[in-house]
Amino acid sequence: MIKTDIVVIGGGPAGICAAINAASSGAKVLLLDRDSQLGGQLIKQTHMFFGSQKQHASVRGIDIPGILVKEMEEYKDNIQIMLDATVLGIYEDGVLTIEKNDDYIKIKPKGIIVATGASEKFPAFPNNDLPGIYGAGAVQTLMNVYGVSPGKSVFMVGAGNIGLIVSYQLVQAGVEVKGVICRGPRYGGYAVHASKLKRIGVPIMPGHRVIHAHGKDKLERITLIKLDENKKEISGTEFDIETDVLCISTGLTPLGELLWQMGCEMKFIREFSGHVPVRNEELETTVPGVFVAGDVAGIEEASSAMVEGRLAGLCCAKKLGFTNPEYSSLKEDYLQQLHDLRSGPVGDGIRKGLAKIVV
Amino acid sequence: MNKSASVVIIGGGISGCAIAYNLAKKGVKDVIIIEKEYLSSGATGRCGAGIRMQWGTEMNCRLAKYSVEFFETANEVLEYAGDVEFKQGGYLIIAATEKEVAQFQKNIKLQNSLGIPSRYITPQEAKEIVPHMDETQILGAAFNPKDGHLNPFHTTQAYADAAVRLGVEIMKYTEVTGIKVENGKIAGVQTDKGYISTPVVVNAAGGHAQIISEMVGVKLPLYSERHQILVTEAVEPMQGPMFMSFSQNIYCQQTPHGSFIMGRGDPTEPRDLRVTSSWEFLEEMAKTCIRFLPPLKDIRMVRQWAGLYNMSPDAQPIYGPVKDVEGFFLACGYSGHGFMFGPVTGVVVSESILGEEHTIPVDALSYDRFEKGELILEPSVV
Ligand SMILES: Cc1cc2nc3c(=O)[nH]c(=O)nc-3n(C[C@H](O)[C@H](O)[C@H](O)COP(=O)(O)OP(=O)(O)OC[C@H]3O[C@@H](n4cnc5c(N)ncnc54)[C@H](O)[C@@H]3O)c2cc1C
Ligand SMILES: Cc1cc2nc3c(=O)[nH]c(=O)nc-3n(C[C@H](O)[C@H](O)[C@H](O)COP(=O)(O)OP(=O)(O)OC[C@H]3O[C@@H](n4cnc5c(N)ncnc54)[C@H](O)[C@@H]3O)c2cc1C
Repeated sequence: MIKTDIVVIGGGPAGICAAINAASSGAKVLLLDRDSQLGGQLIKQTHMFFGSQKQHASVRGIDIPGILVKEMEEYKDNIQIMLDATVLGIYEDGVLTIEKNDDYIKIKPKGIIVATGASEKFPAFPNNDLPGIYGAGAVQTLMNVYGVSPGKSVFMVGAGNIGLIVSYQLVQAGVEVKGVICRGPRYGGYAVHASKLKRIGVPIMPGHRVIHAHGKDKLERITLIKLDENKKEISGTEFDIETDVLCISTGLTPLGELLWQMGCEMKFIREFSGHVPVRNEELETTVPGVFVAGDVAGIEEASSAMVEGRLAGLCCAKKLGFTNPEYSSLKEDYLQQLHDLRSGPVGDGIRKGLAKIVV
Repeated sequence: MNKSASVVIIGGGISGCAIAYNLAKKGVKDVIIIEKEYLSSGATGRCGAGIRMQWGTEMNCRLAKYSVEFFETANEVLEYAGDVEFKQGGYLIIAATEKEVAQFQKNIKLQNSLGIPSRYITPQEAKEIVPHMDETQILGAAFNPKDGHLNPFHTTQAYADAAVRLGVEIMKYTEVTGIKVENGKIAGVQTDKGYISTPVVVNAAGGHAQIISEMVGVKLPLYSERHQILVTEAVEPMQGPMFMSFSQNIYCQQTPHGSFIMGRGDPTEPRDLRVTSSWEFLEEMAKTCIRFLPPLKDIRMVRQWAGLYNMSPDAQPIYGPVKDVEGFFLACGYSGHGFMFGPVTGVVVSESILGEEHTIPVDALSYDRFEKGELILEPSVV
């Protein structure tokens, strides 16, 4: 049984930042990720990030983990990293069980920061498990991490930022994108991403839904139907499109299983796309000593995930008696940064969500 | 929302649904099942769902035989659109101690006399039936090819669907918070969604049965205790029977889908209502399983969970009325084997409510056996 002060679960932007701040406050930290490299979602994002300078805007997503890992090296005496390590369970006595390269490891920390990110939502329609139907995350990973093309032609379901960005990246990689649909009357992502796609001639088709996939051993064809302004199907408007890849990008949902298992009070918050833990301003959940940060606390962005990570790391360490000399000013700064990131019309939903979940 | 009913059944597990179906089949109108969560959310949906006729008392053998015969045709009798997945691959109960050898041989005599085709087999024969077992760990085994296991969700749903077709109402996500008794008679049930007036209440609340009884001032000699269980990934079919041992503390079955489901008890388990999981269970379970069924070490487990055993002083169910409260009926205290008795429960409790004579011999399971000191001595309980 490994003993340590703080375990951080998930090595995405939130988890790395949490580890840095917990360690810089003096706590011994074990940072775990089931992937074989740190970075979480960022390792596949080749585009420039938006946001403010403080959170590495205008840097490409894939370059951010490197910057953070460098910062982490300053505290290497306090941080141990364990990769290819999946947290399987957290038990009522506070013990974590881990699978690492087929080994079974137990860890007993004093504090836990959960930064497991999110998983993709997947719509239900007949044959949605045919080979050739991917989540957008998988397509991005194939393309941007491994340099493998997912197919010759792709049809994209979902016109949020991820759907739009991945479509554009596919075209850049030489794959034909036959179209992008969404259910609502307008695409959901930022106009910058949508107009790039339009310029290169990829049709964005609001008011459609996939109702069927066809193919013998793999995807060959999909059936779409038109929707009215209330997202109701208009019968008789079905039509087919041939494609060998269908990419699903219908949003993310927080990956909170471990929080459920620990008995954290969870609430469904529409603005955060799923069940998220009730927590206080310091990101501590209803289970004492268990903190959250990043997408698992509500789907947002890497920028806010990093700040939340720092805040959670700082406060979790404090809770265990490791008080950063600059605790008060740092905490105030992080809260201010989060406030700024969430201000303005884009942050509307986030602010509404937070009002329902922060106690 | 206030309403009235002729019978209110508390609990939407196998017991509650089977009782409701039997009442409705006998023509009783306005039967309501109240379930605080969803159907099978209690022990039923968490159990090993095994059924064995290999018991050590005549009564239990008869009850189990009745249930097996019912399950054999349950899909047709209940006109179920799905499949209850009765896999009749037998129960292989290993004998690991001399005491077990003697007990099993005695049990088998009794079972055979009641028409149950169990037999005592050698370690070699056991290995032919379960080729991946380590037969050197056992002295022999009892085997009955007609035992087996079911899918508890489908089985309960089959009863529930049939009951609803016959007019039963099921109120899910509704919790009973109190029971009203007037002049020693049941008057109604208070729920978090409103009051239901009724002259009859059935306590089929599983691990919460003692709490429900306290609502009418009856203190049942029952307690609940956590039992843990796990499921593995699905693999090719390789194990026909439920593999189990009383003394070595394991049961393990392979579902038709290919997953293995296995569990064991913990003698140090406290008496409470927790259904949390522990890593200690995982480790002990894995050790025990690999000792007897070594090749399973290469299969991944996917999930673990726990449910409540509702324990009675003689590890036998309690069926029927409670003298002091007219209209209050019990169907609880199953002590870890109430799933397999579901078909019996449905029949006998509906008979009790209607004042009919029992068609299955369960008089010994009445509540007043504790008062009279007539406990049942069943040697073959887990
Ligand atoms: C296409 C796309 C474009 C984006 N563009 C931007 C942008 O321009 N600007 C911006 O700010 N944000 C952007 N984002 C959002 C951003 O990537 C995420 O909000 C951010 O990565 C969330 O960080 P996180 O640390 O919370 O989670 P993640 O990055 O998802 O990291 C979670 C980590 O936890 C690990 N993990 C999960 N469960 C376990 C377990 N049981 N055991 C061990 N490890 C586990 C995972 O392997 C993963 O590495 C974009 C996202 C996508 C998909
Ligand atoms: C791990 C495990 C393995 C088992 N293996 C087997 C086996 O192999 N074979 C076998 O025969 N038996 C087995 N059992 C025992 C079996 O599961 C139970 O005896 C049986 O399921 C009891 O069914 P029930 O309907 O009486 O109770 P339950 O299924 O527990 O149903 C009671 C219901 O009442 C509801 N309830 C409780 N309080 C209230 C309230 N206040 N208001 C409204 N609703 C309420 C609960 O939500 C629950 O759904 C096992 C049990 C466990 C835990």
